[in-house]
Amino acid sequence: MRALYIGWKDTLRRFRDWKALAGMLAAPLLISALIGLAFGNLNDTETPISEIALAVVNHDDGELGQIYVDVLHSEDLTDLLAAENMDDLAVAQQRIREGELRAVVYIPAGFSDNLLEGAQGSDFGSHAEVQVFTDPTANISPFIVQSIVEQISNGLNSALLAGQVSALQAADYAHILQERMAGLGEAVADQLSPENFDVRESRLGLNVIQTGESGPAFDPYSFFVPGMAVFFLMFSVFDGSRSILQEQTRGTLPRLITTPTPHSQIILGKMLGTFLTGLLQFALLVLASTLLFGVNWGSSPAGVALIMVLTVFAASGLGALLTSAARNESQAGIVVSAVSLIFGALGGSFFPASNLSGIVDLASRLTVNRWAMEGFTKLTVGRAGFNEILPEAGVLALIGLVTFVLAMIGFKRRFVR
Amino acid sequence: MTQPILQAQDLHKTFGKTEAVRGISFDILPGEIFSLLGPNGAGKTTTISMLSCLLAPTQGDARIDGHSIRGQAAQVKAVIGVVPQEIALYPDMGAMENLRFWGRMYGLGGASLRQRCEELLDTVGLADRSKDKVETFSGGMKRRLNIAVGLLHKPKVLYMDEPTVGIDPQSRRRILDTVIELNRQGLTVLYTTHYMEEAAELSSRIGIVDHGQLIALGSQVELTKLVGQVDTLRIGLDPEGLEEAQLLAAVHKVKRVQRASLENGQLLVQAEGGHAALGGIVACINQAQARLLDLRVDEPNLEAVFLHLTGRALRD
Repeated sequence: MRALYIGWKDTLRRFRDWKALAGMLAAPLLISALIGLAFGNLNDTETPISEIALAVVNHDDGELGQIYVDVLHSEDLTDLLAAENMDDLAVAQQRIREGELRAVVYIPAGFSDNLLEGAQGSDFGSHAEVQVFTDPTANISPFIVQSIVEQISNGLNSALLAGQVSALQAADYAHILQERMAGLGEAVADQLSPENFDVRESRLGLNVIQTGESGPAFDPYSFFVPGMAVFFLMFSVFDGSRSILQEQTRGTLPRLITTPTPHSQIILGKMLGTFLTGLLQFALLVLASTLLFGVNWGSSPAGVALIMVLTVFAASGLGALLTSAARNESQAGIVVSAVSLIFGALGGSFFPASNLSGIVDLASRLTVNRWAMEGFTKLTVGRAGFNEILPEAGVLALIGLVTFVLAMIGFKRRFVR
Repeated sequence: MTQPILQAQDLHKTFGKTEAVRGISFDILPGEIFSLLGPNGAGKTTTISMLSCLLAPTQGDARIDGHSIRGQAAQVKAVIGVVPQEIALYPDMGAMENLRFWGRMYGLGGASLRQRCEELLDTVGLADRSKDKVETFSGGMKRRLNIAVGLLHKPKVLYMDEPTVGIDPQSRRRILDTVIELNRQGLTVLYTTHYMEEAAELSSRIGIVDHGQLIALGSQVELTKLVGQVDTLRIGLDPEGLEEAQLLAAVHKVKRVQRASLENGQLLVQAEGGHAALGGIVACINQAQARLLDLRVDEPNLEAVFLHLTGRALRD
């Protein structure tokens, strides 16, 4: 019970501090707004997405399957996509599992024939399917690949159905994929031009089946608001963790120790204060971003709540652990600031960490930010449900639990002399 | 015979290679004001920290109200109140808010806590500032609130570690009066200070601490008897061109002089019948062509006791 009083006292003190509030709430909202505005304007900015590793497995002998291959390899998309052709679908899928590829576009045998035959009958296009296999750990890049395939299909579909080339309309959707995607419409148009494809011959349908999640157009706020929220959460939670050393320096911690309140309650109370502050900060950011930017946090409020609570839990535990190991308050300040920045850069607060590979990817997976961002991006961008974010939730819970226990041990050793 | 409420036995505390406390033992009887008097760094705060269960003794033990600081910390903490040397308060919280928080840390709550906080704010003269943030208070007001926190749970023994450091004379007077009043109401007080006057005014008994050891213990009368009728002469000299060794050698030869030291232009002389020795000492000063700036003769007091025992002034 006394731990609750200590925790609540710390939370109140933190929220009375206008400077702290500026860092906790105003800064992440402001930066999210600026980044959101910048990335929402195709003419002004570069997307951070590039060279998405992709394989095209084309088992179709006809011209229609080849259109997908040609578009995905087209010059206009070389910055965005690093596409390669493969024959074996199983091998390609294995490479996704090994993290070498983000997506595989599979055009089955007889795709063109099915389309053309289907167009003559009642089961219009029902057997013509392009499948997109995606990396379940990646968030943005599969979404982009799906969108491109969808646009090729839409363009093709329109051409087949309407008897006219409508692929240029694809450019209307290019804003979701930023500037590097702006050439997609032309690329598709080239492939569907009368020279390459006689649209008068067929009026055919087309289905695209995606193995990954589909969703609405990419909203930069859906990515950057959670990113900034996690980044600034780390700062404020780490800073809050230092308050135990501040109390030691200013004499209130020794005085607490001279009261009959057990040491474990004092340490727990201090960590609880950091946790409550972080939780309140994040909840306010979720609320404010929804009201100000219209951020859609997905269809699973329980999932958002779970990832939020566990992110704050993991950040609080890590902050406490770093503080318990620091020699003094100023050393703790330097360490936690550095860790906040490194975690922010590595963990995907500024760009999708799903693009990382090798040792950098491994390092990224050691950060709280990475798992928090994976969870939030699944919810906001991928529209995932509660069950789908359980792996991320599990990792965050584990980080929080381990760091909390180690911090408790560290603080006990430190303050009981 | 009255049982001591506090018994410290052979307390030692070592930090690395530094021995901060080297075998301190003393008893405090219920209703006493007991002072530990000594210069900064003597080991007073370390001793209080061990008695508060803030630091574990390297050796020795103490029993407070029958409870050992080694194995019964929770029981000890319930009967002691601690007023630390620092202002251990939350500056961005109000006076009442601080008291209520600290009261909860002592296990108090509800209406009784509120009533106790109001009583204490009244006692320390801050009732009209109860809602104001501590950061807006003067140093003296903060010190008084600092004392109030130590009294919240009505402790049997109150530890006060240098509670008048860094405050104006008026606030100091008010704090000393508060200590006297609390003691009159039956509270036992362990008081540490390096101000000889405070120890002399407040204490029934005084322990003089130096270099982590208790070098003398007794009432003021008992302690001053240690130096007999030796007066302390404090003579301020212009240090420019002062031949210190020559002057000291001459002063030591003056009749009745027992001890003399010279530091930063301050000549400290202990002499039996100080006024009688004064003429000889001034003659030495004139002979050394030193310029005399001021002169004071103190009759035997605690400072003289400390000087007598250590060869150094208390404020060195």
